Amino acid sequence: MSGSKTVHLPQEPETTIPETDLVFSANELEQIEKYKAMYPTPQGAVMRVLWMAQEKFGYLPPEVIRLVAETLGLPYALVYGVSTFYTQYYKARVGKYVLDVCTCFACQVVGGCDVFSHLCDRLGIEDGGTSEDRLITLRQAECLGACGSGPMLQVANGPYVHNLTPERADDLIADLKRGKLPEFVSMTLPQDEDEMGGNRRTDVDNVDTYETQPVAERLSC
Amino acid sequence: MEPEAKYESKAGDWRNYKRVLLPPVKDLQKLDVYRANGGYEALRSVLIDEKWDPKSVTEEVKASGLKGRGGASFPTGLKWSFMPPVKPGAPRFLCCNGDESEPGTYKDRQLLEYNPHLVFEGILIANYAMSIDVCYLYVRGEYADWITHIEKALADAYAAGLLGKNILGTDFSTEIVIHKGAGAYICGEETSLMESLEGKRAYPRIKPPFPAQRGLWGHPTTINNVETLACVPLIISNGSDWYAAIGAKNHTGPMLYGLAGHINRPGIFEYPSGMLISDLIYEVGGGMRGGKKLKAVVPGGSSVPPMRADQIEGVTMDGDSLRQAGSMLGTAGMLVLDEYTDMVTFLRRITHFYAHESCGQCTPCREGTGWLVDIVTRIDEGGGNLRDLDLLIDLCDGMEGRTVCALADAAAWPVRWTVTRFREEFEAKCRDSVFAIA
Ligand SMILES: Cc1cc2nc3c(=O)[nH]c(=O)nc-3n(C[C@H](O)[C@H](O)[C@H](O)COP(=O)(O)O)c2cc1C
Ligand code: SF4
Ligand code: FES
Repeated sequence: MSGSKTVHLPQEPETTIPETDLVFSANELEQIEKYKAMYPTPQGAVMRVLWMAQEKFGYLPPEVIRLVAETLGLPYALVYGVSTFYTQYYKARVGKYVLDVCTCFACQVVGGCDVFSHLCDRLGIEDGGTSEDRLITLRQAECLGACGSGPMLQVANGPYVHNLTPERADDLIADLKRGKLPEFVSMTLPQDEDEMGGNRRTDVDNVDTYETQPVAERLSC
Repeated sequence: MEPEAKYESKAGDWRNYKRVLLPPVKDLQKLDVYRANGGYEALRSVLIDEKWDPKSVTEEVKASGLKGRGGASFPTGLKWSFMPPVKPGAPRFLCCNGDESEPGTYKDRQLLEYNPHLVFEGILIANYAMSIDVCYLYVRGEYADWITHIEKALADAYAAGLLGKNILGTDFSTEIVIHKGAGAYICGEETSLMESLEGKRAYPRIKPPFPAQRGLWGHPTTINNVETLACVPLIISNGSDWYAAIGAKNHTGPMLYGLAGHINRPGIFEYPSGMLISDLIYEVGGGMRGGKKLKAVVPGGSSVPPMRADQIEGVTMDGDSLRQAGSMLGTAGMLVLDEYTDMVTFLRRITHFYAHESCGQCTPCREGTGWLVDIVTRIDEGGGNLRDLDLLIDLCDGMEGRTVCALADAAAWPVRWTVTRFREEFEAKCRDSVFAIA
């Protein structure tokens, strides 16, 4: 996926996962069989198995791609091709927590770029960079589907943090340093606030409401 | 400033509207609560009552006037009727499109979080109407947390015998499989979504053949948006007349509107289709942030042409009205911009999005999106030239309608219409440029 005219040759990350660790456990293999059964062909399961491999190994270097390919009986090039098509698969080593900060158009106009630049300064890294302690990788993201509660970011392909300000971003970093991942937050619909006095779900602890953000200082990052 | 009933809304008495997609019921995401509120009764009726067979269900959906909520507003009943006759032994598929990556759009996520069983019930009825074996519910990978919730709701439905073999004791059997994406806007395009499901790089396919002829693994397939399918049980329970009486005549039904940007009350709102844009901004959305003046509205996701504030007067949120006003309904996820927004910098980020998300298959799209972002960036950074504005329009001419999928059009429209409608801002930046020709 490219639109820029500079050609970036894919950089093969160095092999770091020892040969002996490069196996799926019996449980995992059983799960893979379940994934295969969800589709008419084993190839249908490739995205699920790549997700599984990434959760296990942290990222998808060539040797992990090879493992996935061999487990599913598919050509290496095919699995490699799939892995490089999607932004959520990490092809190179990343920090413990990847922060995907949305700077796409709806977040942009309410301060998404302010938050992103603040985090860059705070961590001393640029777009795509990883902090020295290998804790955080920072990336600009395209719309993550939470535009009403922007600026927002996603932590480690998991929870969303909504209604961000630079201060809340700092709090998040402090939490992550202590190993505390944010929890799932349920956003209250404005109509629910009027008609039901708040969030409709009683089975989640964390609830937030859509907020109007202060004026954005920066419109481009 | 607030237009006092000067223009007629097509949404009728929307202030007293009772929500149906997201009704005010606590814990509706739980199966027992959903059933206690009449949930899965439409499915029961379809499977058991004499009155319903696949054909009559499809006819009912046709008569309701339901149009797809995924962006293209295609009539749903008509789409269903494109499925060829059943061939014994040959599988048929439905894809429920929850990829939701169009910037500005976040309604399907809220619907799946708060009322997942309505979506499942809609899928089941659609599966019945088209004799479908398996529905893949494609949810974008970023919604990982929500996928966990949806998977739990799905497991509950299976455990209650609402899915799988011999549903509700009838001879109807069908499955729902949740597929987790991994971050690619293009997967929302229907043929790309199918390639992704098949485990390939998700390059869109050339149409024809259309998915109803050759879809998933070469078999007949229909693709519908999450919100579209959620409307189906409501149509079956209350009748197509009831549904057709809601909202705009040519674009019927309840609609999930998204409000974002410089507005006091952002969020997802359910109202009848055909709301006045001004009502959405000043009444529903509580007006502009800080009492600022409105500059621009992007009514339905980043792909639709942005409108100037003076273009929204009397315009309602339905396909016809927005087309006449020079834009489109898209996904009804509206972005509102105030007088301080720099439209050049704003457009620059949109062009970046499409350059990043082009799959690269077609030359006009791959190269065009790259050129668009380069030129708009140059203008934004003060290196632009007045001739660049014509060059941008030329580029759009070279992209629109010349590619495999509509992403190239979606990339070109905002550029064409932002440059045309906010030309003075672009000209001002070019004139300030060191390269400007005196
Ligand atoms: C580039 C592109 C991206 C799209 N993304 C989505 C999407 O995220 N969700 C969606 O429902 N439809 C999306 N669509 C529209 C689908 O191709 C398809 O028309 C729609 O899912 C059909 O459902 P409907 O008839 O219920 O609207 C996209 C189309 C294009 C060209
Ligand atoms: S128009 Fe763009 S996104 Fe669509 S198939 Fe062609 S290159 Fe890919
Ligand atoms: S633009 Fe940031 S979440 Fe949609």
